[in-house]
Amino acid sequence: MGGSSKDDDSATDSDDFNGDLPESSSGLFQEGEKVLAYHGPRIYEAKVQKAELRKSEWRYFVHYLGWNKNWDEWVGKDRLMKNTEENVLKQQALDKKQGADKNPKSARAGHTKPKASTDAKLEKEDSRNTGTKGKKRKSDVEVEKEDDGQVGKPVKIQIPLTLKKLLVDDWESITQQDKLVKLPRSPNVDTIISKYVEYNSLKDGSHGMTTDQSQEIMNGLLCYFNKVLPVILLYKKERQQYIEAVVGDVSPSATYGAEHLLRLFVKLPDLLGKIKLEEDTLIHLKQKLNDFLKFMQRNQSTFFLSMYDGSKASEECGKEEDN
Amino acid sequence: MTGLDGEIGTEEEGMSAHSPCKNLPSFSSSAEKEQLQVEVELKLLEALEIYPLVKLCGIHRHFVLFGLTEYLQRSLKRQFSPSEVLQLLDRFYNLDMLEPEYEDIELLNQEEDFCLPRSFFVKEELLNSTTIGGI
Repeated sequence: MGGSSKDDDSATDSDDFNGDLPESSSGLFQEGEKVLAYHGPRIYEAKVQKAELRKSEWRYFVHYLGWNKNWDEWVGKDRLMKNTEENVLKQQALDKKQGADKNPKSARAGHTKPKASTDAKLEKEDSRNTGTKGKKRKSDVEVEKEDDGQVGKPVKIQIPLTLKKLLVDDWESITQQDKLVKLPRSPNVDTIISKYVEYNSLKDGSHGMTTDQSQEIMNGLLCYFNKVLPVILLYKKERQQYIEAVVGDVSPSATYGAEHLLRLFVKLPDLLGKIKLEEDTLIHLKQKLNDFLKFMQRNQSTFFLSMYDGSKASEECGKEEDN
Repeated sequence: MTGLDGEIGTEEEGMSAHSPCKNLPSFSSSAEKEQLQVEVELKLLEALEIYPLVKLCGIHRHFVLFGLTEYLQRSLKRQFSPSEVLQLLDRFYNLDMLEPEYEDIELLNQEEDFCLPRSFFVKEELLNSTTIGGI
């Protein structure tokens, strides 16, 4: 079975849209009509729930058949196709390309979800991020006028392999070996981010972004880290240590280091998924975040611990990382 | 350098001297500049449809501001800095009066133990993720 789409990159850039649908004075698609809809790299069976004329363009609220209604969304006609044999063949072609089961439900069951989590809400959100639905390909700006409760699309972030291994070792040390990260860390998250900002300012117009904009992103990361560390970034066994270490005015970013910052990246798709960002902006953002991850990877030996603090008698050395 | 909230001081990159936006507060009253000013304001209001004001406070605010800045840059085809955008917004709205959304507050109240998605533990999947820094 193909790897979890968490590791899958989003669609290729091939512009494969069926753009030959004629302009119509009434909507091209009717309410209740079964259609085929593009979503991410694939085509799904969907049903038009509503049709509305907005700013002289028809918009259709579709429900993807077999999928939770949380996926229902407003789309333009460029995302939809009539349910003809020809278009079904297109759907099958894309399915083959993705190498996945055609049945969305069983395909989804094959993807991993964090079963350890006891919070059903988190599971649902994680299944969005690791599910088969990738990001939209087209760079539409969807000006959603619905209620604020609507979540944006999942944001996939590739964590480099060596860093993923660090996360697994981190898990092992803490949950299996009863070790802890010795606090306070040096370098801490503040330092790591400052170093990156410094390094970044030396690169001219990196990724078409000014230094200010890059800094805004780093500010965003820092803000997330400080707010969510105690909420979603700690293993159970670390809670006591947190209470003791982070008291009064002390910020998490001054106390913790790369190990915990990396965990933030596991949660970033969830967090960023809560706001709407335009396609192009998302691309820039992900480029910057990936760049930061590479920076962490390059400085692995300085930023990350090679050994955790063991309170147990066994003086097992922490795992040495192969760079 | 970084406060509790993690605000790093901005360092303005050398912007073109021709960019009128850089000197926003000390605008001269020439008609041309006023016209540009109106354009900027209109685009800003347009942008707020996508990036609602209320999201500018709360934990996502930096990313929302980033999105706003990019939107303006794209539609007006010139450089903007996030702090300029904030200044612009400040002309219209009292940003201090904004309160975080219910959702934001809820998020911070839902404590959960960290866990790694299972994909991290499946060797095959680890090996499949060979694209480093891929989009």
